[in-house]
Amino acid sequence: MSDGVLRRNRPGSKAKDFCRWPDQPIEEMDNTLAVQQLIQQTIRRDPSNLEAILKMPEAQEEGVWKYEHLRQFCMELNGLTVRLQNECKPNTCTQMTATEQWIFLCAAHKTPKECPAIDYTRHTLDGAACLLNSNKYFPSRVSIRDSSVGKLGSVCRRVYRIFSHAYFHHRAIFDAFEKETHLCKRFTHFVTKYSIISKEILILPKLDDETPISQPVGESEA
Amino acid sequence: MKIPTAMDDSSVSHHNGGQVGSEIGVSVNNKQNEESSQSVQYSIPGILHFIQHEWARFELERSQWEVDRAEFEARIAFLQGERKGQENLKNDLVRRIKMLEYALKQERAKFHKLKYGVELQQGDMRPPSDEPPVEPEPAERTQWKQGRQLIKQYLQEIGYTDTILDIRSNRVRTLLGENSEEQTEESNYRNCDKHRYSTNTAVGRKRMMYDYGGKDQQCKGAVSGGYNEEGLSVQENAVFANFEFLANQEMDMDEIEDLDTKQAHHTQIKQEEVDHEAEEVLNELNLLTETEADGGGQGDEYVGASDEKPLALGELAQLTVSNEPEAYDVAGASKESFRKTWNPKYTLRSHFDGVRAVAFHPNEAALVTASEDHTLKLWNLQRTVPAKKSAGLDVEPLYTFRAHTAPVLCLAMGAPRSEECFSGGIDATIRVWNLPSATADPYDPYDAAVQGPVLRDHTDAVWSLSSLQGRLLSASADGTARLWSPRAARPLLCTLRDDALTASNAAPAAADFADAATRAAVVYNDGTLLLYDLETTQAVLRVPCSSPATRVRSHPSLPVLVTAHEDRHIRFWDAVSGRCAHAMVAHLDAVTGLALDPNGLFLLSGSHDCSVRLWNLDTKTCVQEITAHRKKFDEGILDVAFHPVRPFIASASADGLAKYALLVLVSLVLPTYRVYPTCVAVSRRATGTPYEDASSRPPQWRLRFVNDSVTSPPVPID
Repeated sequence: MSDGVLRRNRPGSKAKDFCRWPDQPIEEMDNTLAVQQLIQQTIRRDPSNLEAILKMPEAQEEGVWKYEHLRQFCMELNGLTVRLQNECKPNTCTQMTATEQWIFLCAAHKTPKECPAIDYTRHTLDGAACLLNSNKYFPSRVSIRDSSVGKLGSVCRRVYRIFSHAYFHHRAIFDAFEKETHLCKRFTHFVTKYSIISKEILILPKLDDETPISQPVGESEA
Repeated sequence: MKIPTAMDDSSVSHHNGGQVGSEIGVSVNNKQNEESSQSVQYSIPGILHFIQHEWARFELERSQWEVDRAEFEARIAFLQGERKGQENLKNDLVRRIKMLEYALKQERAKFHKLKYGVELQQGDMRPPSDEPPVEPEPAERTQWKQGRQLIKQYLQEIGYTDTILDIRSNRVRTLLGENSEEQTEESNYRNCDKHRYSTNTAVGRKRMMYDYGGKDQQCKGAVSGGYNEEGLSVQENAVFANFEFLANQEMDMDEIEDLDTKQAHHTQIKQEEVDHEAEEVLNELNLLTETEADGGGQGDEYVGASDEKPLALGELAQLTVSNEPEAYDVAGASKESFRKTWNPKYTLRSHFDGVRAVAFHPNEAALVTASEDHTLKLWNLQRTVPAKKSAGLDVEPLYTFRAHTAPVLCLAMGAPRSEECFSGGIDATIRVWNLPSATADPYDPYDAAVQGPVLRDHTDAVWSLSSLQGRLLSASADGTARLWSPRAARPLLCTLRDDALTASNAAPAAADFADAATRAAVVYNDGTLLLYDLETTQAVLRVPCSSPATRVRSHPSLPVLVTAHEDRHIRFWDAVSGRCAHAMVAHLDAVTGLALDPNGLFLLSGSHDCSVRLWNLDTKTCVQEITAHRKKFDEGILDVAFHPVRPFIASASADGLAKYALLVLVSLVLPTYRVYPTCVAVSRRATGTPYEDASSRPPQWRLRFVNDSVTSPPVPID
């Protein structure tokens, strides 16, 4: 690399040193994964700085920018899922719900199914992983067809339900996770900024820093 | 394989065995002498020791024998291949001769046409005089038949059959078909004068008469020759018969030419080569026509006529000789086209971030990958999703393992039939997983039983795992390597720590079992290689090295340790003496992945230079290179793996893809231990299309060092 820094994780290095290297300017990234690298290094620097994270570089194709962000969201959602796995059991959360208004059906099956919340979460993420890595719809990480960009919306909509379920049913987990990653805030900002999903669907109250969200409002079990 | 360590060790153990043997021999004597007191000499441990040593010695000898056998078999394969090459060459030359003859004939026909026009103006009485030779006498016919039979026999003897035509000769024919016109025209002009000169001679006139017969002119010429000169030998007749034989074949030739025009685009690629060849053929052709013309010139004398054909033959013979080196080239070129390139058969894309580790199932065509996206995925390679035509097959993961809360760095597969795997990561945990069945649906309900015990004794990132005989060896950035019995109530068996290295802040980078799981080889990120005795947990061997190490693997049958280093080297160590047996610059960048095939004949290495290389451990040469991955930041390949029983290899990369290739390393799977140094991958055939990346890079798995001996047989043209 031009700055003489080898951005590598050497076997045997400490956990705290993992990926801890000086930021690389986007114009020096000359490989196909530049956008992912940029997003990840910005998040690593400060996960709460939404503006910096969502600030698209000039001359960046917007489709790719959105696609890479969604990949990152799905990836980080694994963390929430891991936490949920310990608490959100199929016998307690038998349906995927947020508010009592809707029951979400799991689209991963041939005929949409009333999966328990944890299965809905896992299936949605697995399905998103398959779709976002599909060679058919997203053969390239450098440019993306418009028709494929359209697919991102439905993924976002489903992914958002994971946040909302966690928020309404597993508030403690949600808050702890949110405090660490600011993921839901970042996601909401993302989908609003690029108008990926309509405002009515965004049922979570605004997660502003001033609102004391660290206090669980009471976990509903249904 | 001439690894001195094996020799050393075998001699040592031999020595020991000899000692024990002599002891027992003594005791036997004692036994004979005084039967009552013999129990003093025998002890069960002593006998066991002896047997162990003997066994070890035999094992070593056996492996050496096997290696020798493999070598010899490779040699045989090489020689056989060479023989085949020679045969092909021979066939090729014969075909070329025929083609030249055919071209010559065509040219004569043209020449005749030209001349005929000229003579027409002169107003000659040629046509009627043509009649007699058209009707050959019955006796002549039988003679022909005999001759034809003879030439057929001859051709068969040298291995020529009409049905087996290889690409090489086909290409030459293509060239002939494309260039024959200009060639013949050129030579026409060149020879025109001579022939005009010779028209005055009797033989010249005769030739004109025969030529009138068109395509069959040559055999007719031959017939008339036999007619006029009774002194013609049987041999000459055979040659003439051959000519007729060729004439009969003309239909075939034309057909082949048609075929060739269809393949024209092929030839265009090789145009340069073809041009070169064309020149050669042209020269030969001219040479031939000149001799023909000369012969025609002196044809009215008896001697001249009988000399004519042998002279031509002599030229042909000369042609064969002079052509040899070039023919070799042609053979080489066509063999090039036979070489199969290795393509990734499957690309496993479902991870969101770099894939850190890959491990194959002990016997199924399944594998597990571990990624920086905090998940592990299980893939069944037999359940594939047909992807775009250009992209080979895609496999969707069967199951996603979620429990790590940080990037997963390493993987180890449990013993066969245990259906378990282990993973370690940045979160300092080692997790045991129960593998779901290979038929599970990815969208089945969540089953908490997939998660097994969690080993939490490490205090920092776990960088390496190795599993053998139900035990697990881990290496962590907390400075220790630990031995586990993963499912026991108290899983931690022992902790391997070296105070000096801990003091210098060096941490283990990788660990592997060695010496039938009695020892552990641990490499540190300062380059040191330590061999721990697992009984005493003490280091029994310490080898310093200047360059940070990234991986260590122990050879499955020899006391050899292989380490990968950041200075691009792969080093081989004698596990007994600690001597560096071999060191080689293996890559263009830091070597990051190492895997040995289960028989210990091949070594697979991966590097940040994004290439995967397959090494023949015997010769330490690279037999295959694959570059199918891309970099993320400065990281390329992160892990490579061999399937324990099936002919698969896999590579994991920072670009988030795991690629998996099907190899036909016959030697790797057949118990007969046949070594094909040229083991060719057939993934292209299997998938139907070469791999094509999104960035449409050319297929890049190709055989680097191919011993030309074992190539596929010539492809028959249908």
